[in-house]
Amino acid sequence: MSAARVLDSTVERANLETITVALRERFHGAVSIAESGVVGSVSCENLPALPAICRFLFWEAGCSFGGLIVEEQKDHWDLRYLFLAPQAGWFEVLVKLPLEVTSIPSISPEVHAADWHEREAEDLFGLQFEKHPRLGDFILHDQTWAEGLAPLRKNFDITKVHVNGQTNMDWRPLLVVRDPGAFAMPVGPVYEGGIGESVHFMLETVGEDVLRAVPRLFFNFRGVEKIAEGKNVGDVLLLAERFAAKSSFAHSWAFCNAVERLCGVAIPLRATHLRIILGELERVRHHTGAITGICESTALTVSASQAAIIEEKLLRISCSFTGHRYLFGLNTPGGLRRDFTKQDFDNLLSGISEATDQLQILEERLSFTSSFLDRLEQVGVVDPKSARDLNLVGPVGRASGRCHDLRRECPYGAYEELAFDVPRETEGDGYARLRILFQEAHQSARLIRQAINRLEAGPVCAVCRPQHAGAALGWVEAPIGAAIHWIRLDESGLVQRYRAITPSFNNWMGFHAAVEDFAFQDFPIILATFGLSATECDR
Amino acid sequence: MTEADLIRSGILLFFVLCGCGLALSGAIQGRNSLRIMAVFSTICSGLMMLVAAVSLISGESPLLQLWDLQGFGRLSLQLDGLSSIFLFVSGLVYLPASLFGAHYLAKRFEGRYPAQRFGVLHFALMASVVLILTSSDAYSFLISWECMSILCYFLVNYEQTRTMDTRAGYVMLAMSEAGFLCIVLAFLVAGKMASDFSFPALAMAATQLSTGEVWAVFLLGFLGFGVKAGLVPVNFWLPRCYTAAPAAFVPVLAGVTLNLGVYGILRLNAGLVPGHGVGMGLFALITGSISALVGILYATTENDMKTMLAHSSIENAGIIVAGIGASLIFRNSGFAVPAAIALTAALYHMTNHSVYKTLLFQGAGEIEAATGTRQMDRLGGLARSLPGLSVVFLVACLAISAVPPFNGFVSEWLTLQSLLRSAVLSSSIVKILFALCGAMLALTAALAVTCFVKTYAMSFLGIKRGSWRENSNDNLRRLHFSSIYLALACLLLGILPTFVIPVLNRAVEPMAGASATSSLVPPFFSATTANQQLPAAFLEDFHNLGAQSGAKIIPGRGLVILARGGEQNPVIFAMSPSYSILALALLLLVTWFVVSRSTRQRSLVRKELWAGGIPRLLPEMSYTATGFSNPVRVVFQAIFRPNVIEDTRDTVSVHFRTAIHRRRDETHMVDRLFFHPIGDAVVWFAKLLAGMHHGRLNAYVAYILGFLLIILLLYRLS
Amino acid sequence: MSFWFWHGLRKGVQSSRYPRVMETAPGVSPGRPIPTTFRSPSEAEQAVAECPVGAIVAHANLADVVLGRCIHCQRCHFGAPSALEWRNDYEWTAIPEDEENYAPLPTAYRRSLHVIVVDAGDCGACLHEVKQLNNPLYNIHRLGIFFTPTPRAADVLLVVGPVSENMRVPLLKTYEAMPTPKRVLAVGACAISGGVFGRSAMSAGGVSSLLRVDLEVPGDPPPPLVILHGLLSVTGRTTPVKNLSSSVVRSE
Repeated sequence: MSAARVLDSTVERANLETITVALRERFHGAVSIAESGVVGSVSCENLPALPAICRFLFWEAGCSFGGLIVEEQKDHWDLRYLFLAPQAGWFEVLVKLPLEVTSIPSISPEVHAADWHEREAEDLFGLQFEKHPRLGDFILHDQTWAEGLAPLRKNFDITKVHVNGQTNMDWRPLLVVRDPGAFAMPVGPVYEGGIGESVHFMLETVGEDVLRAVPRLFFNFRGVEKIAEGKNVGDVLLLAERFAAKSSFAHSWAFCNAVERLCGVAIPLRATHLRIILGELERVRHHTGAITGICESTALTVSASQAAIIEEKLLRISCSFTGHRYLFGLNTPGGLRRDFTKQDFDNLLSGISEATDQLQILEERLSFTSSFLDRLEQVGVVDPKSARDLNLVGPVGRASGRCHDLRRECPYGAYEELAFDVPRETEGDGYARLRILFQEAHQSARLIRQAINRLEAGPVCAVCRPQHAGAALGWVEAPIGAAIHWIRLDESGLVQRYRAITPSFNNWMGFHAAVEDFAFQDFPIILATFGLSATECDR
Repeated sequence: MTEADLIRSGILLFFVLCGCGLALSGAIQGRNSLRIMAVFSTICSGLMMLVAAVSLISGESPLLQLWDLQGFGRLSLQLDGLSSIFLFVSGLVYLPASLFGAHYLAKRFEGRYPAQRFGVLHFALMASVVLILTSSDAYSFLISWECMSILCYFLVNYEQTRTMDTRAGYVMLAMSEAGFLCIVLAFLVAGKMASDFSFPALAMAATQLSTGEVWAVFLLGFLGFGVKAGLVPVNFWLPRCYTAAPAAFVPVLAGVTLNLGVYGILRLNAGLVPGHGVGMGLFALITGSISALVGILYATTENDMKTMLAHSSIENAGIIVAGIGASLIFRNSGFAVPAAIALTAALYHMTNHSVYKTLLFQGAGEIEAATGTRQMDRLGGLARSLPGLSVVFLVACLAISAVPPFNGFVSEWLTLQSLLRSAVLSSSIVKILFALCGAMLALTAALAVTCFVKTYAMSFLGIKRGSWRENSNDNLRRLHFSSIYLALACLLLGILPTFVIPVLNRAVEPMAGASATSSLVPPFFSATTANQQLPAAFLEDFHNLGAQSGAKIIPGRGLVILARGGEQNPVIFAMSPSYSILALALLLLVTWFVVSRSTRQRSLVRKELWAGGIPRLLPEMSYTATGFSNPVRVVFQAIFRPNVIEDTRDTVSVHFRTAIHRRRDETHMVDRLFFHPIGDAVVWFAKLLAGMHHGRLNAYVAYILGFLLIILLLYRLS
Repeated sequence: MSFWFWHGLRKGVQSSRYPRVMETAPGVSPGRPIPTTFRSPSEAEQAVAECPVGAIVAHANLADVVLGRCIHCQRCHFGAPSALEWRNDYEWTAIPEDEENYAPLPTAYRRSLHVIVVDAGDCGACLHEVKQLNNPLYNIHRLGIFFTPTPRAADVLLVVGPVSENMRVPLLKTYEAMPTPKRVLAVGACAISGGVFGRSAMSAGGVSSLLRVDLEVPGDPPPPLVILHGLLSVTGRTTPVKNLSSSVVRSE
């Protein structure tokens, strides 16, 4: 593959070099340095050493796991294990396999955070990961899909419907608790007291405490990554916006970032600041929604109503400001599609100030409601060690001590010029997550104000046309956590492979650690404090 | 022929028939043996009921003098009020229980165990039970008691190839013998001053006993009889034994032999050697309440149906004994009317318990026969495969949960009301203890409802959780006559309490000193203003309420249970299950009529169960009995003290759990506090003594020398 | 301890008075493109080319809008060479094209309606808008509409999302479990026409391929007031539009 243009500072380069050097020392013979670009890269030559290499990167070099990107090329497989080196940037371990070889050592026993990534690759590509404890029945539910389908392979015809509505009614869940009195309470996929996303839980218990609660997701699997193949960038942008609408701007930003990086385009400064304003607006609105959810789950209805009012007001502000309540149709590769007037910004500022004031009042009132705090404190605890192990991202991770924020670690846009704090808590319980949400909303308002003040006149869009084939990575700190988009274009500028690694995917994997060993009644509350989106995970 | 003669000849005829039945069922082989057993049992139990009924109605207590044994005195039988009530109840229960036993053995154990053995033991036990209830002197009582204990042991170990269960029978035998020893000692102490050991002589001599001796008799008798009755702390054999006993015999065990313990307590400690002061009554009250609470706690968290019912029997025995204790306290404090109410409640509860517990154990036996398991975690959905049994079992569950209109309600209600009467007592300490015991019994009642809701729901409702073959043409689908009989008895005893109370009065009046009938059942049917049995204004009010309905149709005093106070407080409590059930039926009828006339007929469409969109609701997704009772286990953790919760998780690594194994080790509270410490103490003592057996001849000679010296010294000093 | 009762009372009544009074607060609706007459057919053709999902159909000078396909990408709005006119309204509920015997629910349901919401692959926006109906600013409880978690008690099945393959059976089961009379509401462009996901091995391309849809609520996402209009139309309290395109011909 040809290298993308280097756009990042040399300081980062130096640190990535350190890791590369360390790797070469430890695993000489097993690794070789690939051509470096934005993403520091080593190639793994010796397949059995792969788990050890990843283990070294995750545990000893202190990287966090970004994701696994699998590509089917004409004659070989490309597997990229993406890591985020602390204070350094992205790092990948590249594995090339001949197409006939579909078996690869699993790194999940060493790096637990890779569990679901490998399961997804198995379901979608048919790759077998040796020694993975549990493969199958992940994205392609056993009761609905026939065995052996690999939808993301090039030879899969997406227009043909493979399953004619024949569901295997004898499907049985794989239950873990072996006790004669144990049972599994099924929750979902149509559930949640009225309006909820389609997720299925089997809460295994012997009465009071939930012993095992691994969620069954992918009911909303629409195959976005497959639909994108062969389409032009504009159409795939629509997909990127619309597979997870509550973080739509963040995902479209990450996508545009990737395309811009691939084309080597630097977007105008005004567009950068505008994107920051819109991204933070989305974050405030999203967090207010999560706070509403937490208040609803604890049945403190008045506070839920008040939080809901703030959220609706923010939605209306978004609509008056941009023309769409969820900020659709704004991002485009090269910048934004429209500009805003001074009056728009004034209205926005006053709206945001009012919302932040209301949020502050709400936070204070909630902190004095002991019945509410009782349901959140010490409930759904994820200790820092588990959070590291399971690679939790976003506010959930920050509540358990993992202070990673892509706006700080790999600054994109103009974030390195702006002053903001990244809140961090160590308790890892529901109340810590709630506090993080409030603090981040506050910081987002701060960022919006700073960005508006720094706005300069200028264009909002640069011409962005792909010149040649290539691949690039784009990343954004979405409201739920780190979102990574990877895209490969061919010569005619059509999308060959689109990979979206979403923060909900990572956090859903670690969700069970918070629920286990807590009572049934706490389950909806823990679910609300995580504020996850099933559809963002499912794509 | 006078009634007394009738009774005497009835008793003799009973023994003759019993002997015949014993001989015949022992001699004949196979199925016919069981048929003979059924026929003769029916006749014998019928005779028991007849004799007891004649005695109760006529009021006669004839004495039957038997042989004169050299040195022991004259053996005699007498059927007084207390005996006849227990005899009637035993007969009432023996009839369906023996029919069920014969039917069950014929279906289940064809040829595996000899049916003759069961028949012989059955009749022998019946005879010994009647002997216990009618003995009028200590010898026949004790001999028949011992026979009963041994026969119970043989019957419990009837299915002798199951070694685990035979050990349970052995524990029962050991405890029965220990209890028997205590009873013998009690009688010995009681008869210290007596001329001979007949009951009248013992009663007369009891007045000369010192307080210490009376207490000794009380404690020994109470604990000795408590073994059979199932009171804490001597009841640790009961759950093991009831679980191990064959399904053909358990109904008798629970319905008849448990009552014998209560009979013994009443006979010895309330009848023959009544104490003075409230101490003994308090002891009984507190022991009863604690037994009740502990029993129901373990019943609620137990998943094996027979063990659960055994714990429930402990609970009911506790309630009975608590009622007896309250009665003793009231009587010794000089309040005869509350004493009568409390004793009535206890005897009524004893009757009710026999009836519904027998029915429940029969149901458990049928369930085990149909599904092969007793674990409630593995049952479910039986209402579809055993419809008749589900109705009858529901009646029994409702009865034991004290839900009107069934019998449990009346006795439970009367027990609690009699505890409330403690307001008349003067001592505050006693009143506080009454209040505490009342609270414990109320908690027991609530837990009993939980327990039986769990039992019925987990066994009969919901989806099938286990794997057994549904036998569609199984004979067990058809309801057995004994179950219908008992269910009807539950209903009748519940809706006609005003007919039961005058019958119980025959035992209550001599013991409590006041008439239960006049305390509890006012004569609304027969009293008129001219009759003046009740104050005119009072009568007027109640007749306006309808208390005279049915006077022309139904004989008797009235259909309302009512306790009257003085001028200030004319009605302390009142209720009428008879009228309530009528009113309820009428209301339901009216509602049905109105609804069916006023609403449109809609078509009924049956669709599959809604389970949130998953393909099918599987059995592993439905609530289990363990899950249902888990909150109780958690709340009362201090009592249960689960010892070890082993939680091994087979993992590749912590994130990937592939199996979680849980095991809970619990020892019963009574075992923990009494059985094991006693056992350990005995073993320790034995080890100590074993230290003496070391084989050195010189030391043994020294032992002899030392012992001789001590004897000589003692002789010198005395 | 915070005195929530008092704080709630102080907030006062914030609910919109729709449907009695039209809601005019800014930001309640993104608006929709309406059929626009251009100066020349080529401009109309240009407008057609702007739309990535084929929601604009040209007939001579008229650029007609098939609102059921519109995904609110705004490409025909801001800065478009042939921009369509937009109207800021929200009464968009329509009876599907091929639906001849549409009838609202009987009058007994007018002021007491129970709705079950099924997320069949939705992106989250439509579901979130439905959820906003419960907040004090819209407060559908005042109109007698309630969301219920069980289909046994539901009168209306509100489906969002293009019906992903994994949700096919749960959706059908939900519909089966509802007692008659029942109505199906397809909310959002995905539920009506598959949206950007279309018809594929992984998604059914809209609810109408599985169930008979009674009313369509277009938008991506339709704002809460549009959904409210849809729910009120199901009971007959407001009138749905017969079809939202003024011409009969629809392009494939």
